[in-house]
Amino acid sequence: MSEGFHDKIRAFIVETFLFGDDSEPLPGDLSLLENDLVDSTGVLELVGFLEADFGLAVDDADIVPANLDTVDRIAAFVERKKAA
Amino acid sequence: MFLRILRRERTAAGAPALAAYLDELFGAAAGRDGEIVSRVHVGRDGRPNGFLGVLPQTMQLDGERLRAAICTTWMVDDHQADPFAGARLLKAVLAGPQDLAFSETSNHLSTAMWRRTGARVLAPYSLEYLRVIRPASFVLRMAANRFAPLGAAAPLAQLADRMAAPGGKRLSWAGYRPHAGKSDALTASTPDEDELARAIRELLAHHALHPHWSEAQLARMLAHSRVKAKHGQRVLRILRTRGGRLAGLFVYYGSRGGIARVMQVMAAPGMEGAVLERLLADAHDGGLAAIRGRTQPALLDAMLDRKFAFLHASSTVFHSARADLVAAATEGRAFLNGLSGESWTRLVGDRFV
Repeated sequence: MSEGFHDKIRAFIVETFLFGDDSEPLPGDLSLLENDLVDSTGVLELVGFLEADFGLAVDDADIVPANLDTVDRIAAFVERKKAA
Repeated sequence: MFLRILRRERTAAGAPALAAYLDELFGAAAGRDGEIVSRVHVGRDGRPNGFLGVLPQTMQLDGERLRAAICTTWMVDDHQADPFAGARLLKAVLAGPQDLAFSETSNHLSTAMWRRTGARVLAPYSLEYLRVIRPASFVLRMAANRFAPLGAAAPLAQLADRMAAPGGKRLSWAGYRPHAGKSDALTASTPDEDELARAIRELLAHHALHPHWSEAQLARMLAHSRVKAKHGQRVLRILRTRGGRLAGLFVYYGSRGGIARVMQVMAAPGMEGAVLERLLADAHDGGLAAIRGRTQPALLDAMLDRKFAFLHASSTVFHSARADLVAAATEGRAFLNGLSGESWTRLVGDRFV
């Protein structure tokens, strides 16, 4: 299931923050913040995606790098939220 | 943080007075809802490093009472250290129990963040209008805003405006001179705040979505709006037909030779042009160089007819899960900005010393 999350999240990030350009790999542990892929604006778009596509309720306290800074962390966050 | 981030002031001399005002505005019983509240962001070191002020407001759409969150004073200190702090603040506010949330003065970055939450940017509410009355005085005032000593040349600019006026075109974007017309049939009076409040309530009814102010709340807001030291003296006018029917009102701040800030213009349907004519004539008689303010859809047509110029400084953004509320806002049927926003507060245009 987690792999499915990864693919969907990665596809969203490529489409939204990389203008659909998937010519370069997007490692699961690549920091989206440090690589300027996601900023304070982008993170709200990411949250909107997680809420709409995974049916999650993301609280303001959830919006931290520990949950949303890499594809791996986002996938783990989705998994935790789904399991809760 | 407010003085440094939002006003770019180098000294914190006004901080105590400002803190007392923020406490009164956001913390006093009159400004609290209990559930729709302002948010403070606390950094990892335990110190406050962000704030999003919320003014709770009861509104109504076609008679249905609604809860609104008017968002203002959004700031984050050291954005680099915590890049998600602003997002957390907005998310926290928008998770509240309100039916709608909006902000009157959203800057470029804030607007981008609001958009990502599904908010709509209301273009017809987001333009700053400018109407030049005396072109030489206007140019001088703009220059003096950058280099204060130029203000000493004001008498020369006034002389140039007086010499240019008789030969000027009646309708020109670069100047204004009064002329006889239909609007002369309206009588203008300077109301006290109670009379102004009654007129505001009466004119509000022409907007489908509008605030539902208690008498005490509107009185408090008008009291807050008395002084805007940066903008000049407050001017209140109510306009009536000869038969005594309410045609409109306006509230602006200005001083001779300066650029007036219009806080509110309201007009009965069909009276928009006449009300604007009287606003321009009033500003002209008061020796003002120009007027500027925030657009409202109901006034746009009449402004275009009168050579107003438009530019963009900040945006009105609107968020609601209800399609009927979004439709009322995007279709221009809402009364937003000015009194239905944050412009009445001392945060806009006043000094704290």
